Amino acid sequence: MEFRKMTACRAAEAVNNGETTACQLIKEILERCNVLNGKLNTFIKIAGPEALEQAAAVDKQVKSGQKLPLAGVPVAVKDDLCCRDLPTSFGSPAFKNFISPYGAAAVEKLTDAGAVVIGKTNLDDMGIGSTTTSSPAGPALNPWAPDRVAGSAGAAAVAAAQCLIFLESDSGGALRQGASHCGVIGLRPTMGRVSRYGLHTFASSFGQIGITASSTDDILAALEVISGFDARDASTALYREKSAEKNAAVEPEIIKIGYPTAIIALLAPDHRNLMERAREDIEASGFQLTDFKLDLLAEALRAYYIIAFAETSSNLSRFDGIRFGMADYAENLDELYYKSRRLTFGQEASRRSIFGTFILSQGNYDRYYRQALKIWTLVRREFTAVLDQCDLLLMPAVRTLPQLVTEQIDFCRLYEEDLFCAPVSLAGLPSLCLPVGEVDQLPVGLQLVGRPFSEEMLIGAASRIIPEIKFPPNVIC
Amino acid sequence: MEYEVVIGLEVHVELLTKSKLFCCCPNRFVAEPNINTCPGCLGFPGVLPQLNSEAVRHALTASLALNCEIALYSYFDRKNYFYPDIPKGYQLSQFFVPIGSKGFLIIEDDNGKPKTVRIGRVHMEEDAGKLVHAISGNTSLVDYNRAGVPLIEIVTEPDLRSPGESRRYLEQLKGILQYTRVSDCKMEEGSLRCDANVSLRPMGCPDLGSKTELKNMNSFKAVEKSLEHEIKRQRDILRSGKEVITQTLRWDEGSQATIVMRGKLQAHDYRCFTDPELAPIELTEEDVEKARAALPEMADVRAARYVNEYDLPEYDAGVLTSSHGLADYFESCLELYNNPKVTSNWIIGEFTAQLNSTGLEPDQCSFQPKDLVELLLMIDQKLISGKIAKDVLAKAFQRGTSPRLVVEEEGLLQISDQSELEKVIVKVISENPDSVENYRGGKAKSLGFLVGQVMKETEGKANPRLVNELLLKIIGS
Ligand SMILES: [Zn+2]
Repeated sequence: MEFRKMTACRAAEAVNNGETTACQLIKEILERCNVLNGKLNTFIKIAGPEALEQAAAVDKQVKSGQKLPLAGVPVAVKDDLCCRDLPTSFGSPAFKNFISPYGAAAVEKLTDAGAVVIGKTNLDDMGIGSTTTSSPAGPALNPWAPDRVAGSAGAAAVAAAQCLIFLESDSGGALRQGASHCGVIGLRPTMGRVSRYGLHTFASSFGQIGITASSTDDILAALEVISGFDARDASTALYREKSAEKNAAVEPEIIKIGYPTAIIALLAPDHRNLMERAREDIEASGFQLTDFKLDLLAEALRAYYIIAFAETSSNLSRFDGIRFGMADYAENLDELYYKSRRLTFGQEASRRSIFGTFILSQGNYDRYYRQALKIWTLVRREFTAVLDQCDLLLMPAVRTLPQLVTEQIDFCRLYEEDLFCAPVSLAGLPSLCLPVGEVDQLPVGLQLVGRPFSEEMLIGAASRIIPEIKFPPNVIC
Repeated sequence: MEYEVVIGLEVHVELLTKSKLFCCCPNRFVAEPNINTCPGCLGFPGVLPQLNSEAVRHALTASLALNCEIALYSYFDRKNYFYPDIPKGYQLSQFFVPIGSKGFLIIEDDNGKPKTVRIGRVHMEEDAGKLVHAISGNTSLVDYNRAGVPLIEIVTEPDLRSPGESRRYLEQLKGILQYTRVSDCKMEEGSLRCDANVSLRPMGCPDLGSKTELKNMNSFKAVEKSLEHEIKRQRDILRSGKEVITQTLRWDEGSQATIVMRGKLQAHDYRCFTDPELAPIELTEEDVEKARAALPEMADVRAARYVNEYDLPEYDAGVLTSSHGLADYFESCLELYNNPKVTSNWIIGEFTAQLNSTGLEPDQCSFQPKDLVELLLMIDQKLISGKIAKDVLAKAFQRGTSPRLVVEEEGLLQISDQSELEKVIVKVISENPDSVENYRGGKAKSLGFLVGQVMKETEGKANPRLVNELLLKIIGS
């Protein structure tokens, strides 16, 4: 099977109509996955035996006459999503042996639809960050340039065809930036569209489960499977109330896309040129274009981080060495907390916990947290107003190319990388990152942002814009 | 100098719900540790809270019964602190907006006059687990059975002026919460817990003095006693010209004294912020009015009705309505038996004596209203005497059988057969000629002796009124 040109939809079709079997497909991709993992370090765990067992079960269902929308499709899952029977590390050495007695709702919906989980992908310390440089397993490498990071290990895995669909969390932009860095498509759905049950997120207000793949059809197919109301995640009640405009016809002529002339000026020349070329291509595809501006982008980034720090300090509190983590011998409670938390968290998780504790402390709450909440409201309003004028917004996803593995970057500068992605998370809007070109032979994507629950329109529009997805030339296999 | 006592009470009450506040675990006491737990109430990563609507209904009912204003929009906040008995590293509690506020209760002051005690807030929160310290060795264990059990906290303004008022407030509060089926309020079992804030100030002084906090009082009596003890202690300190130190004290039941728990009243910085994982609690005016209409009749209203409708003495009405169980029992009896005063006598007397000696609640014992009515009817039909009936009640209660069965098995049916009684009377007269003479000579007391002898001969089964009548007829008046 030629995985380089394979899509999930095509693979499922082949399994469903008997051209191949799930077992055959999974066996082949596991071999490929293992070989490439030695070069890319994208997977923390490749679950060979478990995947083959799942594949056999899928074949049995297909043989009995069932048509499964994702029959035999190899899926990778970021290691902050819990899977039944597979260990989940959350990017911490303290969770080497943690196997959750429950599975993430989104993952189980995928497997119910015939998909096969082939492994868990590399991630930053406690899932915090968008470089994987803080991973205890070392960084995942970019298939386009192995001296650079991938941003998202799963995006790299999709780009190198180690898997066909990848499920991962996105808070400030890890999924979208990873898709941009690796030249694939990444969708962050509206908060409430997909149940987050089983996802450990450091910032509950922003952590959302998204999909990465190499075709818009695959994104749509996976979204249909994983979205929907789930009593175990209160945020999905919103989706039940509003429901998506499904099957909305995407005719370019009636869709107005906003173009942020003022924001483009913030970009480096190469990235700016890329945006401008994308604008021309989009116009050529028949879409209407109009200018928009966002005045609160910088404030939105700060508000995002203040709220995310506060939530991180609280969300990570449960890892106190009593039930989780490596509880060593301690003379007293304080020592137990100190020892186990120091083992559980790396530098970034510790830093954000401390920042969050500071931000929520008496006196600081009003000075930082309350102000951030106010900005949050204003940012939502600003996006809503802009989306009154446009159906979709075109925005950059990244400011720079993926960093070199050897590069030491100040954490504040890393936070600033999220300038275009984090505000969209703050506004709670769906966003799709699509590849549009290259800078220095490295892929660069940009975001299409839509109104709440307009994922179908995003995907439809993207399918008319995206040029042919390129395969990283360095990946020989 | 004369001092005025200022007391405020904080009462925690466990709600009578089927399941815990944020998961499906049963809300029921079990001795074996960590049985009623799940990934949710153990704080496992990725498991989100699911709000129990039954708990919200109970909190709404309690707030209305305590005359509170209802917040139509409220939510849960996180109180962040580290302790092994809180699995998430924070407690979910309504810190910013309580569901109920500005309520009041009317109690009797020390002079028997009505007095309004203001209730500042009624809010929902989750309970913590329990730490168990091993007797030997240096380990502590945690039992999470109680973690996540729904509580409401009811906080008064500093309106109470004496230990007696405090006790009466608690009794009234307990009555209301039991009447509304919100809680069983068993202080000994911890389903009602009370902390008190006490301070003294010179008579007429508007400012509050330094206060101490009293904890660990596990009965209303202990609350009253510890307050008396603490007031005396503070008064002695102030009279000797010293200052009261703000601190937390623990009531020690053994020594009947307070012990310093925490040197200084630690101003905890809980770093509260609104929980981002739960949806807000939204109530409509209609929900509130529905709950208000469903409120049961309160004890004082019910007692007044008993006086007016059934012509019961105030004492009887007060005792019967002191618990909703007893009052319900009384009313069930009246549906079958139309003599309120007789029913009341038996319930307040023999029935309550049996409840007290077994520790059962009226609805837990097998001696149901139909059994009491059966007993009362047997008395009315002169099948048994009142004296024997007391014995029958005790036996039926203890054996769990019907009173009629007890009467039949023990051959206790009353002798109302005139000819049979006459035989016994003739025998008694012939054996006690002196008494007969004495009676005829004017000593009325002797008649009583003769009646007693007849009762003795018949083992108490003779109908005393009939014996009296026949005796008079035979020995002449
Ligand atoms: Zn539970």
